[in-house]
Amino acid sequence: MRRALFIVVLLAWLAGPVHAQSTDGVVATTLDNGLRVLLLEDHRSPIVSFQMWYRVGSRNEQRGATGIAHFLEHLMFKGTPTYGPRQFAQLVEQNGGQDNAFTSQDVTSYYVNIASDKINLVIDLEADRMHNLLLDPREINSEREVVIEERRTRTEDDPGGFLGEEVSSLAFKAHPYQSPIIGWMEDVKRITPEEIRAFYKTYYVPNNAILVAVGDFKAPEVLERVKARFGAIASAPAPPPMLAVEPVQNGERRVRVSKEAQLPIVYLGYHVPTYKSDDAPALELLSTILSSGRASRIYRRLVYERQLALEAGGDYSYFSFDPPLFWFWGTPMPGQTPETMEKALTEEMERLKTEPVTDEELTRARNQTEASFVFQEDSVHRRAALLARFELIGGYAGKDKFLDRLRGVTAADVQRVARTYFTDDKKNVGVLIPRP
Amino acid sequence: MKRLTSLVTVAALLLAVVAPTAKAAPPIAHREVLPNGIVLLVAERPAVPIVAVRTYSRAGAVLEPPDRAGLAALTGSLLTRGTAKRTGPELDSAIEFVGASLEAGAGRDGMSVSLGVLKRDLGLGLDLMAEVLLSPTFPEAEFKRKVAQTQAAIKRSEEDPGTVAGRALARLVFPNHPYGRPPEGTVESLGRITRDDVVRFHREHVRPDTAIIAVVGAVTVDEARREILARFGGWAKPTTPPVAVPAPGPSGTPREETIKRDLSQATLLFGRQSIRQTDPDYFPLAVAAYVLGGGSASRLYGRVRDEGGLAYAVYAYNNPARYAASFAVSAATRTAEVPRVIEIVREEMTRMGREPVSDRELKLAKDYLIGSFPLRLDTSGKVADFIVSVESLGLGLDYADRYKERIAKVTAADVQRVAAKFFAPATYDRVVVGALP
Repeated sequence: MRRALFIVVLLAWLAGPVHAQSTDGVVATTLDNGLRVLLLEDHRSPIVSFQMWYRVGSRNEQRGATGIAHFLEHLMFKGTPTYGPRQFAQLVEQNGGQDNAFTSQDVTSYYVNIASDKINLVIDLEADRMHNLLLDPREINSEREVVIEERRTRTEDDPGGFLGEEVSSLAFKAHPYQSPIIGWMEDVKRITPEEIRAFYKTYYVPNNAILVAVGDFKAPEVLERVKARFGAIASAPAPPPMLAVEPVQNGERRVRVSKEAQLPIVYLGYHVPTYKSDDAPALELLSTILSSGRASRIYRRLVYERQLALEAGGDYSYFSFDPPLFWFWGTPMPGQTPETMEKALTEEMERLKTEPVTDEELTRARNQTEASFVFQEDSVHRRAALLARFELIGGYAGKDKFLDRLRGVTAADVQRVARTYFTDDKKNVGVLIPRP
Repeated sequence: MKRLTSLVTVAALLLAVVAPTAKAAPPIAHREVLPNGIVLLVAERPAVPIVAVRTYSRAGAVLEPPDRAGLAALTGSLLTRGTAKRTGPELDSAIEFVGASLEAGAGRDGMSVSLGVLKRDLGLGLDLMAEVLLSPTFPEAEFKRKVAQTQAAIKRSEEDPGTVAGRALARLVFPNHPYGRPPEGTVESLGRITRDDVVRFHREHVRPDTAIIAVVGAVTVDEARREILARFGGWAKPTTPPVAVPAPGPSGTPREETIKRDLSQATLLFGRQSIRQTDPDYFPLAVAAYVLGGGSASRLYGRVRDEGGLAYAVYAYNNPARYAASFAVSAATRTAEVPRVIEIVREEMTRMGREPVSDRELKLAKDYLIGSFPLRLDTSGKVADFIVSVESLGLGLDYADRYKERIAKVTAADVQRVAAKFFAPATYDRVVVGALP
């Protein structure tokens, strides 16, 4: 064991420094069955991050069956005829690997980080569970209880999670972004094995997936194995497109909830466009200006100078498939009211409309974003995730274009997007009042 | 499966043959002691143009006066709030303008400053790091602000059942030791701390003769030494010796505590004192912990989550620190199932001491603990944290190799012996947070 490791380290040493800072070197191909494959050699450590990204999330769910994408994510660890229940995790762990998965509104992602000489095992496991999942009703019912416990932890008993769910369901009337990723409790309790199987058959198909691996392997060898294992899986009809379009909001919407909590919480959500819009780079840069670090605007003003908030910030989801909300949040300090908190956040928005952000703020935000990409290069896991993120919105090489777009943003652009989107008719407000 | 086993056997044979020459493997980091006593650790990782730097001072919560809980953490968090040259906001702006981060804080055993910076800005980053460590001014206004923020954060953390349970358990497991106090302090203890306490704590405990500095990333050893000496070489050590911390006494008769909260789920936490890396039984205990509740192949995960559908999270883990260790089992389940989960946890803990673990479980646990090590060291930040940790705990920079060797030698009999010693449910304190009667 040790000797093998030593040789690998030595080889990496002899190979000298690896210059892999850009997306150059990515081996990108699409198999005949539609599976998108991105491979990137990175020989610094004898490890690999192997990731499967499916283009399915809560946005693909129907009313009455919310949470089904996330439920299925859990069941992906419950076995196939070849590898029985729990064997996936056992095999990964006994080979020194770490695995996990997450579901978002847009995607479901699975990863295994493991010693690179085990990559063939992971390819076999992932190819197998893409089309051979058991979905045993007994396992489904047992896992249903686990998902319900997860919901209790994340939502029922978490004030922030609870309020977020309320505001999203208020802000979206037609679009599935209205429902929580984990699903409404009644839906999770109800969903049947047949529905899960149908959902799996529809969305877990090679032409709806991206395979990304970054690590200490030879790309041609891995590609050959991927073709052998995944290539055998039949292509399927394209999953149905998600057609819902959120109608224009006319006027402010507001919700107040009461919950066992220590401090109030205020959320504000404004409807904004996706990455496809010319306004997206300014929104992205604005979210960094507002809340990345202690010098950022909202932190500096509301947390530090005015001491109104324990924490506060603003956030835009550049990678969102459909038009998301631009979120502002704040937790008032003890003694401060949610009304004061909301007013202070609104004042910051109004200030963005009347005064241009400074050159220093713009430059700092750009530098922070560019540096964060360099820091991400240090981790094979994060490199792989970043390739997938950009691939999902149009191409893995989009990172360079993304940085170019950010470089083009001016103070006038930031002012314009603030004026365009932070208006009362796009505003959704949630206030959580602690229950005594 | 068969093939895998034979491969492992071959590897074990090779290990025996090559063991003497294995020492030639490059050490994880260069180590040297600077003239004023600072231990400098450097690991060259040239591929990505970033540098991770850590300073560690033996200035943790264990050194606080008992009625000043939170003093170390407060002092740590105030390091970046003003220096002889710059105000807090000036420090924030300077470091963030280059996309870097400079964070400071303290835990139970030590106070750390962490820098993550692009290689081209290393000089600036180290300038700021040296300023915050050596010449913080602890401005009165910043002190007041940080006390208020910390008190608010403590109040808010009362919302989180895991945090509430953890605080209560620490108090039960370490009743007569600083580890029993919350390192962040309490609303009351923070109210008693003065700015003078902070100034004194920094002066007494942040000192070169107990300091560790780790530099990891796109630097050479010579460059790191030069840059660190230029900024920390003149740091004079005090004439008084560092303060010693006593080991904790026994925790006494195990106790149970229920903390009522209006929640739909109850959080369970079991704990007792255990052992740290310097005890030979630490390694069998690590294997035992993994079999009991380490990963998704563990016994508790299997019975409580996979089969029972009783919890989303269930874990068993050893938690070693510099002066003592604790072992904990945690789970969160719907209120009605609390008795059943307690029963399963007790059964499985007892069974670990009553009968040997299966060969399959033993092998899985050992293979995971050994094989996953490279994943713990795959970024400059992780390497920096790891080498500071082994140095501060006195484990030696070859700890990763020794750990793997010791784990490989653990037998099922070893696991059963330490489980009998450390897993007896009757020796555990227990906390439940939730809507219990």
